Amino acid sequence: MSDLDKAIAQLRACRPIPEAQVRELCHKARELLIEEGNVVTVTAPVTICGDIHGQFHDLMELFRVGGDVPDTNYLFMGDFVDRGFYSLESFLLLLCLKVRYPDRMTLIRGNHESRQITTVYGFYDECLRKYGSANVWRYCCDVFDYLALGAIVLGASNTMSPNPDSSETESDQDVEIEVCNADGQIMTQFSRQPRGRGGRGRSPNGAATSAISNGIGPAVPGGPMNSGPPGSGASGYSGGSVGNPAGAVLCVHGGLSPLIDTVDKIRLLDRKQEVPHEGAMCDLLWSDPDEIDGWGLSPRGAGFLFGADIVRVFNHRNDLSLIARAHQLVMEGFKEMFSASIVTVWSAPNYCYRCGNVAALLELSEDDSGLGIFARSNGDVGRSDGNGGNGPRGVLMENDPSEPKSGPARRYRVFQAAPQDSRGMPAKKPVADYFL
Amino acid sequence: MMAQSVPHQTTDKKRVKVYELRNNDWFDRGTGFCTASFVQLEEGQPKEPRVVVESEEDEERLLLETKIVKDDGFQKQQDTLIVWTDNGVDMALSFQEAEGCALIWRFIDGVQQTFQGINGGPDDGLSDDLAIDIPTAIQLPPAELGTLLELENNMRVMSSTANGRDALAKAIMRDDYISKLIPLVEMAEDLESLQDLHRLCNIMKVVLLLNDTSIIEHAVSDACVLGVVGALEYDPDFPSHKANHRLWLNSQGRYKEVVRIEDEQIRRKIHQTYRLQYLKDVVLARILDDPTFSVLNSLIFFNQVDIVQHLQSNGGFLNDLFGIFADPNEEQLRKKEAVLFIQQCCAIAKNLQPPARQTLYNNFLSHGLLRVINFGLRNIDVTVRVGATDILVSMIDHDPQMIRHTIYRQIQEKQPPLTDTLIDLLLVEVDLGIKSQISDALKVLLDPTPPGPPEARGEFIVGQPRGRSQPTIDPQQDLFLNHFYEHSAVRLFKPLIDLEKRVEMKFSVVNDGVFGYLNDILCFYIRQHQHRSKFFVLQHNLAQRFNQLLACKEKHLQLVAIRFFRQLVVLQDDFYIKHIADKQILGPVLDVLLRTMPRDNLLCSACLDLFALINKESIKDLIKHLVENYREKIMALAYMDTFREIVNRYDNTQGYTAQVDPYFLESEDEVGRRPNNSGSRGMMEHLAVDPAQEEYWNASDDEDENPVRPTPDQTATTNGSSTPKPLVEYTSDEEGDDNGDAVMTPAASLSSEENSKENQEPVSSGSAPAVGPPPERLSEKRRREEDEDDVMDKLVHHKRRNSSASASNSAGNHSAAALRKKKSFGGSRDASPNGPGQKKIAISISPSIKNSAAVKSSAGGEEDSK
Repeated sequence: MSDLDKAIAQLRACRPIPEAQVRELCHKARELLIEEGNVVTVTAPVTICGDIHGQFHDLMELFRVGGDVPDTNYLFMGDFVDRGFYSLESFLLLLCLKVRYPDRMTLIRGNHESRQITTVYGFYDECLRKYGSANVWRYCCDVFDYLALGAIVLGASNTMSPNPDSSETESDQDVEIEVCNADGQIMTQFSRQPRGRGGRGRSPNGAATSAISNGIGPAVPGGPMNSGPPGSGASGYSGGSVGNPAGAVLCVHGGLSPLIDTVDKIRLLDRKQEVPHEGAMCDLLWSDPDEIDGWGLSPRGAGFLFGADIVRVFNHRNDLSLIARAHQLVMEGFKEMFSASIVTVWSAPNYCYRCGNVAALLELSEDDSGLGIFARSNGDVGRSDGNGGNGPRGVLMENDPSEPKSGPARRYRVFQAAPQDSRGMPAKKPVADYFL
Repeated sequence: MMAQSVPHQTTDKKRVKVYELRNNDWFDRGTGFCTASFVQLEEGQPKEPRVVVESEEDEERLLLETKIVKDDGFQKQQDTLIVWTDNGVDMALSFQEAEGCALIWRFIDGVQQTFQGINGGPDDGLSDDLAIDIPTAIQLPPAELGTLLELENNMRVMSSTANGRDALAKAIMRDDYISKLIPLVEMAEDLESLQDLHRLCNIMKVVLLLNDTSIIEHAVSDACVLGVVGALEYDPDFPSHKANHRLWLNSQGRYKEVVRIEDEQIRRKIHQTYRLQYLKDVVLARILDDPTFSVLNSLIFFNQVDIVQHLQSNGGFLNDLFGIFADPNEEQLRKKEAVLFIQQCCAIAKNLQPPARQTLYNNFLSHGLLRVINFGLRNIDVTVRVGATDILVSMIDHDPQMIRHTIYRQIQEKQPPLTDTLIDLLLVEVDLGIKSQISDALKVLLDPTPPGPPEARGEFIVGQPRGRSQPTIDPQQDLFLNHFYEHSAVRLFKPLIDLEKRVEMKFSVVNDGVFGYLNDILCFYIRQHQHRSKFFVLQHNLAQRFNQLLACKEKHLQLVAIRFFRQLVVLQDDFYIKHIADKQILGPVLDVLLRTMPRDNLLCSACLDLFALINKESIKDLIKHLVENYREKIMALAYMDTFREIVNRYDNTQGYTAQVDPYFLESEDEVGRRPNNSGSRGMMEHLAVDPAQEEYWNASDDEDENPVRPTPDQTATTNGSSTPKPLVEYTSDEEGDDNGDAVMTPAASLSSEENSKENQEPVSSGSAPAVGPPPERLSEKRRREEDEDDVMDKLVHHKRRNSSASASNSAGNHSAAALRKKKSFGGSRDASPNGPGQKKIAISISPSIKNSAAVKSSAGGEEDSK
């Protein structure tokens, strides 16, 4: 068993690893992360997760629901630390897994991966308590500076992959969205719908989530619903035709920036720095979608609010079918907005041990039609210029471009906080000695 | 309302028979479970108080659902009966147990009481802020195991209204109820009655979350504290767990007393403060709500103020404390603990008001704090070094001038100044935390900017920019800086300077971190020290030294070098611009880029960022230098907008063509998009005619005393080490784009015809909706930390704060200050580090094609941004 595996085992038991080991881990992680672009290219299948916020036991629950590393390919969209009482163990475990399985684990930066924010919202304090000095906090903050700012998921399928946990064997190719509970049972399914029925501005996954929040059990077995809920954003102007590679999915913690009109512009940022108070890098980590036109001031004091039109133009220009982001608590764990052109994924159940929300992760399955992945070259620079016009994309562009891209098939797994028995009473580590 | 404090008061179901009077006979509707609660029937409607009975046979069936209204005349008869009139029908609830009846009755009675107090609609009476005179004196049942259930229910109900909470708090203090409850914990433990223990825990939670200062103070008193936390060890939320709070708080030796504190009361306060912190962080951490959180925090704060005030005014104590360091025979352990004691004092002092803090530090200094710091910084034990660094940094944070005076005095007295100690420590220290704190200290101590009053440096900096351009340096500061550059600077930057003699760029993992810190410090000095730092950089040829780092294998060291060059460029100071050109700095950076290029990594982004900056700010000397010296390399990169534009900028302004230059159009467009941007220059240039452009370049030639020779390979030789050969051979564009280019730039293979089509497609379809310019930011707003709007606030009524929300700890302040500085100097760096439209187009060296392509792309770009 290597040291790294030992560290992983220790962290899985929610026990911090010694400072020297953290230092070594952070150095390794730095070497790894420096090789990543500001926008990491990830190929489907991938499981996308939102905020964790130091809720270690719920992170374990997430791995239980989503599958363990390296069996499942994970993409975490930042905010690993702060607020929860186990930021340290959570982040170090994720980092260990990143170093151990670099290709199966993608970590991007959230607004809480910052010196300034962590000193206020708990991570600094936690490190100080657990190690008696802020060194580990400093090591971690150095790693934060190297984290990528976003990720592009390529090769996601338009067709829902068969659900291994479901009793249902046939997979319906019309299914665009599937919502499962923690045990993998299908709760609701939505087929592809002509776009525009719902229109933007309505609560997008309202119907899907009401099914969840009402606690109504698994949807009627015997077939998916044929009609998507109004405003569910269930897409599919192409009629759900098989094999059309879905466009790419951009993953970023916060959202868009008025200074970034193409994904490639993100690649030009010198990201190795504390999250600035303004500018493109700040916006990517701080912005929120909102029911407005154009751009608006963010009540957070950093980043912007952006409306459906912004998302539409951006997705069109960059050949994206979907933007996945985190950053905002959604009680149902996920929330699709703007005709399913953007989704918020939240992975911290019962946030702060008291919000009563459920969490979700988003699974994008692999496109096995052989068309999707080769539509783009991988990771190099002339990649997603939005008007490159190679092969299949060029064909797609012939369609009325005002239609948003057909979204990839999305399976949301909704889960609750880890059962109380699986963990002790969450609390901070008390100060051991005192003089005053 | 206390949302999370206790389970909802009405979840307990009570078995009951429902009767209705029919023809003078009580008709039995059935048996079920009764609940009484506020129910919201429709969204937006106020909640209604309702009594509901669910059938015990069929949960779905309701035997009774009635709204409590004023005229129903609810009455309680005997112990188990409640009667009333529902729409003219007499009804009765017959409870199996008196307790259940009491509970429901209490709810009904509470609702009716509010009816009596007001004339308005019944629902209004339920809000907290309504002052109704409930009889303030309430009688709590005797504290016995048998009455716990009743007590718990009573408390839940009462704690749901403001008046109830008031009355409850009074009753608890009046009867010293906590002391009565405490024996019950051990009794229940002896009986192993988990149910009672859970009840006691719930009761104790309610008591503490009543949020009454005197109750909390009483709860952490010596007499009560163990019993209180004992009760809280059995949390019904975690039925299979038992906490060990008593064990923790009772264990001896947590309190370290370096010097005996004679005052009994202060000693007690110290213990109480520790317990309060334990309550806040551990016992109540999960369930703490905002009001209780602030009550705990303020109790802790005032205790700490008292403790520190007492200590600093206690001369005997201070003599004893600092005497420890004067005594050579004193054992190391005691000295160590004394350092840690002072460290904790300083940590507490950060929360004090500045004048009180000042007095404390003055008293410490006069008793010999510097000796302590000196002792600590050189100590072999890392905890002591950390402690001493912390003490020093907290004083520097408070008032750097105080420390500067001391150093100045040391210089006058020909003693080794503190700065030298710090420098030595920075270079040899292995502990990263100490290193980074010292690095920060060396910046702050050598910041010549006149500091405002200490308290103004924190929050009120906005709108009163510190005079950076011409700081008025007081003579003392001037001497200090002179001394530093004469004696200490070489010592500090020795690892960099020593690179000159190095052939191989290999460093151990332990050592290579130092370059990052030195770069940080040097960048800061370059911004702040004007001519002194210029001379220093020139004298020691530091740019060339950083250049050497580019040859390292470790990418983070290459990054350090690129950051340094970026700093030089950002300043847009003629001296440094010329220095960059003279030292042929940018060639090796281009090499790094070419070497890395098809890969998309951090190094690559950092290089691109640097060149995008040169392009965006159109630093003419550097553009000229780049194109004249490295034309081939730039052309090899010209599939990226930044480099294409750099070449075009040079070519166009030389007057070879009268065509309209594309980026002038685009930069206009940029101006429209970003009102803050310094785009005026672009517009001026747009208006300029050819003669002016010629003059533009002539003028710059005149400034050049040593015109650089256009030999791109020169860098390789001046370096002393050979430039690594690029991994991939890149053919230049003239040679066609069949192989090498195809790999690097897929888009480059497109014909320009296709390009223009692609560019314009969004336009022709007319689908791109108008996207307005982003609103202007209120940049000062975002500096406020509280603006990190927790998402929670919107969703949960009670914001829960983390314990460190008393945010003024050093790291926070420090990085905030650092950010401010970065911001003012970084200027527009983050505004748009990249050029305008990033379209990939084929570049041919033929001017006519080039220009047509450029024009098309600019047209596309213009449309796109509409």
